[in-house]
Amino acid sequence: MSGSLWAVDSTGLVVIVNALIVAGALVGLGWFLSRTALTSGVPEGRQVVGEFAIDFFLNKARAVAHGYDRDSVVQTVTPFLGTFFFFILLCNLFVLLPLPVVNRPPTSFFSVTLALAVSAVIGNLVLVTRFKGPAGAIKHLFWPNPMQWVSELTDVLSLSLRLFGNIGGEYMTLVLVAAVVPVGIPLILHVLGLIPSFVQALVFTLLTASFLAGAMHRDDRPKKARRRWLGGKRAEPV
Amino acid sequence: MNTVLMALVAIVPIAAGAVTASFAMKRISVTALDGMTRQPEIAPQLFTAMLIGMALVEALAIYTLVVTLVLAGKIVV
Repeated sequence: MSGSLWAVDSTGLVVIVNALIVAGALVGLGWFLSRTALTSGVPEGRQVVGEFAIDFFLNKARAVAHGYDRDSVVQTVTPFLGTFFFFILLCNLFVLLPLPVVNRPPTSFFSVTLALAVSAVIGNLVLVTRFKGPAGAIKHLFWPNPMQWVSELTDVLSLSLRLFGNIGGEYMTLVLVAAVVPVGIPLILHVLGLIPSFVQALVFTLLTASFLAGAMHRDDRPKKARRRWLGGKRAEPV
Repeated sequence: MNTVLMALVAIVPIAAGAVTASFAMKRISVTALDGMTRQPEIAPQLFTAMLIGMALVEALAIYTLVVTLVLAGKIVV
């Protein structure tokens, strides 16, 4: 253990610093957007921007939640999804910075994407435990297929490899092309790189939401509630 | 000779993976666009489903990329 845990080389330092910058930027942005007095009437200015961002993830979280405790599920799942999206998006956009060493996106390192995927899957399990109980979470891992827990491992693998392959590949292409043609062509690649940056952040979030929806699907509600829910008098959407 | 063979072994999987994945992606996007033009009102839902389907296809291509990178690291010149 003699210092090996804290021995960080220069690329590792770039990753850590960049991830901290992204985290700080997100906290600052959230503070800035919610600083003014919020109104429940017609919003304007910063509140419109904030509500536009939150609204998207609210809709995704509504697709996850079914059943009688839908409100609390939506309130818990929305920040979970939004955090992943904005963190990954800002990390991906690091490649646009016109600085030579600092512009390495943290998501072009496999360790970062692996950490994100592990936290997504463990977060899913925690949310399932929170809303279906420990028994529900264990049932999700071993039912109907006793080997169902293997799919959690492959989820981690596919989420992390996809993000790393896209962003790391994009960065690698950019570096190789810029070494051959330093002027002009990299600009086109930067513009094209905006698309995967956004789409991969969205895909990570959507896949996390769909894994969560599969895990949260409940058929073990009390009989009374199930009857009320199916009896045509469905609760109003949140 | 060994280097050339190793290079081929590294190149062929990524080429095959890219070609087959592009065919699958073509099919996904064409079908989604068909649906969107027929029923523009469900376009957002179709777009989301299309992105998820494409991501699943793309994962296969990226697995071959990872295998290729591992193999390329083993090439000794």
